[in-house]
Amino acid sequence: MITVDRVSKEYRTRTGPKRVLDDVSFTLEKGERLGVLGRNGAGKSTLIRLVSGAERPTSGRITRTMSVSWPLAFGGAFQSQLTGVDNVRFISRLYAQDPDHNLAFVEEFAELGQYLREPVMHYSSGMRARLAFAISMIIEFDCFLIDEVAAVGDARFHERCNYELFDKRGDRAMMIISHDPGYLRDHCNRWALIDAGQLTPFDDFEAAHDHFLAKMRVGETVRAVAQPFSRRMAAIDSLRRVAHEDEQFMALVRQADAARDRHDWAEAESGYTAALNLHPYERSYWAQLGHVAREQGRLVRAEIAYRTACAFGEPVRLLAPFIAAIEQADSVNPHAPIASPDGGDTRRQPAGYPDLAVMTALATGHDRLADDTALAMLRRPGAVEDVLARMLEEHGGPTPRLTLPGAIAVVPGDAPKRPEWREDLARLTGARQEELLAALALGEEPFAALRRAGGLDGWAIPENALTGAVSA
Amino acid sequence: MASVPQHSLIASLKVQRRVLAALLVRELLTRYGRHNIGFLWLFVEPMIFTLGVTALWTATKSVHGSDLPIVAFALTGYSSVLLWRNMPGRCIGALMGNLALMSHRNIRALDIYAARIIIEFAGATISFFSLSLMFILGGWISPPEDFLTVAAAWLLTAWFGAALAIALGALSHEYELVDKLWHPASYLLFPLSGAAFLVSALPPLAREIVLYIPVVHGVEMVRDGYFGSKVEAIYDPGYLITCSLVLTVIALIATRWVEKRLTPQ
Repeated sequence: MITVDRVSKEYRTRTGPKRVLDDVSFTLEKGERLGVLGRNGAGKSTLIRLVSGAERPTSGRITRTMSVSWPLAFGGAFQSQLTGVDNVRFISRLYAQDPDHNLAFVEEFAELGQYLREPVMHYSSGMRARLAFAISMIIEFDCFLIDEVAAVGDARFHERCNYELFDKRGDRAMMIISHDPGYLRDHCNRWALIDAGQLTPFDDFEAAHDHFLAKMRVGETVRAVAQPFSRRMAAIDSLRRVAHEDEQFMALVRQADAARDRHDWAEAESGYTAALNLHPYERSYWAQLGHVAREQGRLVRAEIAYRTACAFGEPVRLLAPFIAAIEQADSVNPHAPIASPDGGDTRRQPAGYPDLAVMTALATGHDRLADDTALAMLRRPGAVEDVLARMLEEHGGPTPRLTLPGAIAVVPGDAPKRPEWREDLARLTGARQEELLAALALGEEPFAALRRAGGLDGWAIPENALTGAVSA
Repeated sequence: MASVPQHSLIASLKVQRRVLAALLVRELLTRYGRHNIGFLWLFVEPMIFTLGVTALWTATKSVHGSDLPIVAFALTGYSSVLLWRNMPGRCIGALMGNLALMSHRNIRALDIYAARIIIEFAGATISFFSLSLMFILGGWISPPEDFLTVAAAWLLTAWFGAALAIALGALSHEYELVDKLWHPASYLLFPLSGAAFLVSALPPLAREIVLYIPVVHGVEMVRDGYFGSKVEAIYDPGYLITCSLVLTVIALIATRWVEKRLTPQ
């Protein structure tokens, strides 16, 4: 048994001591697998290092009456000048094991071939991970401490790791931390949440996960400063990474994925909608939104979502059959071509739903777009600069003394509005975000503000559309 | 199954022995590798140093204030310097490079220092021993007059070096100034350490000042054992022991203090 009794841990920082864990107590018995949830920096890794005994608590006691592994993290703690064999021998000596027997196991399990006899510094990160895991399997502990197994890339190796850990060693105690709640749900039988230095235990995964999501919502989300990318595909790629770093976003899409898997389409749709509201350019979830809308018979919304996904670069080949199946084609509206980006300047790329919403707000001040209007615009060929020109033309030029709405809907349906849409505007038009926000805050005309911040550079907007604003 | 923690002294000693053995092999492999002469560098390197200094002093006919052969003088003096000076050099910053090791509960900061100190001690000792043998067989110097005094002096100097190494090593983990200051300090201490002079050849005032430096007592004692009848060696083993004791206490406290603040990677 491992007993953690009123343990606190403080670190010194430049701004004074920071308390990471505050009076944490729990026990771990043989056969219990404890999954610890918590946001980045909540103290999960600290707790695992304390339990392993590698680090000492500032106050409190940790007693171990069973053998406890070192934290199995998958970067691997190697001496990089030494070979894989040397590292295996070192660990074997350290834990009084037969080096030759262990070497045979590692050779078989890590599949490093001749590389096992090369210095570890010549390994790829995947090879390091394989060696690290194999080495941690050679010592049989009563309790394994696992820090983010899911991070190991190769799926086949991942499967073998899971088999070694959870099947062959299923009777041991484990403490697992992971960013992936699904992983903890599948492999643990007890759960706990760390937040603000406190550890709350749960016997039920759903309860733990609900608390986790609730904590995530109140927290601050990752906000990317819009970089003035001139090429849309580069912007979309980096926005996707930003989205994946955002724990709140990831929590929402995991929840939605789970709802989709149990065919709870309405729940899934509201999850994807909320997620896309945070990161409207994460194109793969536009495709998911299309699927769950289609399942509910919301064909217009489904088509909007599919076409948006394609406009942001999802493979048309994969989504075209879905669009063809739901498109209500007739003699008036024949099958419309599906637009996809070509990697050029942003203004020359097809528009997705968020672009339409942003440009509508800019041209007319409306904060929500009707589904039918949006679909008609998505079906009509033309790049974003053409769309804006058309909007201005139809509207008779920009509205004079227009105040832009505070927040707009960037996802169809009754999603909450997105207050950060001005960042999207800056990104779309290539304007410098801070200058644009400052100019707008001073009450400048939106188009003048955009121009001042370097936006709309080179956009083909008919002069009369803009001069209309001045004369009006 | 890895053993459940036991708290008997015998079990702890077994773990200690295992950890040190594993660390020693690892350290030797990391430092010397398997290329060319491998871990023979352990003592070949200090031998080259000592031989070089001996050759230099012989060529420049250094004045050292006695009628001892210069070879004997350089051998005893420079070997002692290598013994106490290299240990701190290897222990300063040792934890930083080995933080990953600290995730293994049985490895303590002191083990990492101990492994490095043992290696330095072995290197300096084998070098001193082999060179002595070479010079004695070659007829340049005569065998030590009192082997036990030489051995005792050697061990005392090593003790002082080890305590200094651990204290500085632990402090260097918190204060990088230690690393910055040790390099100039070790060079400045070299001429003051008794390697290049005999205390008896100094004027009384200098003699008094120099005798505050603990390592001077060690070198003088080595020379007393080696050729005591030919020189007047001035030293006080009690002073060296007291200094080493105090330094050992400081070293252990500093190590404990640093270990508490350690974050393994």
